[in-house]
Amino acid sequence: MDQKKRILLAGAILIVILGIVLGVDFLQRQQAAKEAPADMPPGSIPIFVDGGFVASFVPDDLSQLPAASFVDAEEGKTQDGWLLRDVLLLYLGEDNLQDETQVTVSSSSREKSRSLSWAEIDQQENMVMFDLSGRGTLKLVSTLPGFDIRDSWIQDVDKIEITSP
Amino acid sequence: MKQRYFSTFQLILLTLFSALVIVAKIALRTPLQLSGHSGIFWMAIIIVGARVVPKLGASSIIGVTSGILASFLGLGDFGALNTFLSYAMVGVGSDLMLWLLRSDTENLVVAIIVGIFGHLGKFLTKWLFGIITGAPIGFVALGLLQAFLSYAIFGALGGLLGWLTLKALKRAGFFAYMAEKR
Repeated sequence: MDQKKRILLAGAILIVILGIVLGVDFLQRQQAAKEAPADMPPGSIPIFVDGGFVASFVPDDLSQLPAASFVDAEEGKTQDGWLLRDVLLLYLGEDNLQDETQVTVSSSSREKSRSLSWAEIDQQENMVMFDLSGRGTLKLVSTLPGFDIRDSWIQDVDKIEITSP
Repeated sequence: MKQRYFSTFQLILLTLFSALVIVAKIALRTPLQLSGHSGIFWMAIIIVGARVVPKLGASSIIGVTSGILASFLGLGDFGALNTFLSYAMVGVGSDLMLWLLRSDTENLVVAIIVGIFGHLGKFLTKWLFGIITGAPIGFVALGLLQAFLSYAIFGALGGLLGWLTLKALKRAGFFAYMAEKR
């Protein structure tokens, strides 16, 4: 086989890999759409208040929110996205959130969760926010002491729960 | 006595390239916020390493060694195993392409293709880990396509940067010096 054919073969392999990745993603989205409630688009993140489903957080809503960013002290990477405070205010309004209200953000695949009070989330300097990861899932990050290192952040977020005091 | 596939000198060189991958990951920053942008530096180092030690398996050794270093340094967001395999697959992906193309990275097209496939090795590892661990599907539709293209483009740019570095090294007489050392 000459070099030209080998290069063409490499191109074909690249297309096949892309096809497999997109095909699997498409099947996963279809599966997620079947399993999720009708008002929850695939990939969206459900918000529960005191155990009851209130809304699901979708990418289109992000365009309404101001962008936020900070440089993490650990690796010097810029974490940019949208404040959790803005997301919650968009769906729940300020009247439903008191300083003692507990907000739990969790990831079932990573078996991690973090509970924060509304007072902590509402303070913009704490930068409790969602960063969009490379594979398109959301990661909860912050500069809040004790929740400012990568190990403690919540990757692949798939649920937000609010518990009233 | 049976001659070893890699000489001690070559293994030391490959280990130094592995350390350089880690240094690049930690110290070199680009203002770009696109996923996989650090691949510009990684792939350039792998491309140079694969030419300095022109043997099949050289890239894999760089990948595996840098994976071990990265895991111990706690790099990455998804745990040590994910980090190790991501780095290792960069090397393995590069080696597979070098084996398929039967050429070295002094050829610009080969360098770019190796850069793309090596870097996609990292993307595929992270993607497969996501599936295995049951990570939620992407929040943004077509986010995966965007990430795939981003990894491929930065891998290609890394290949180009590596090829330019090799040209500069050749012009500076590095390979003639290395031949004398061997």
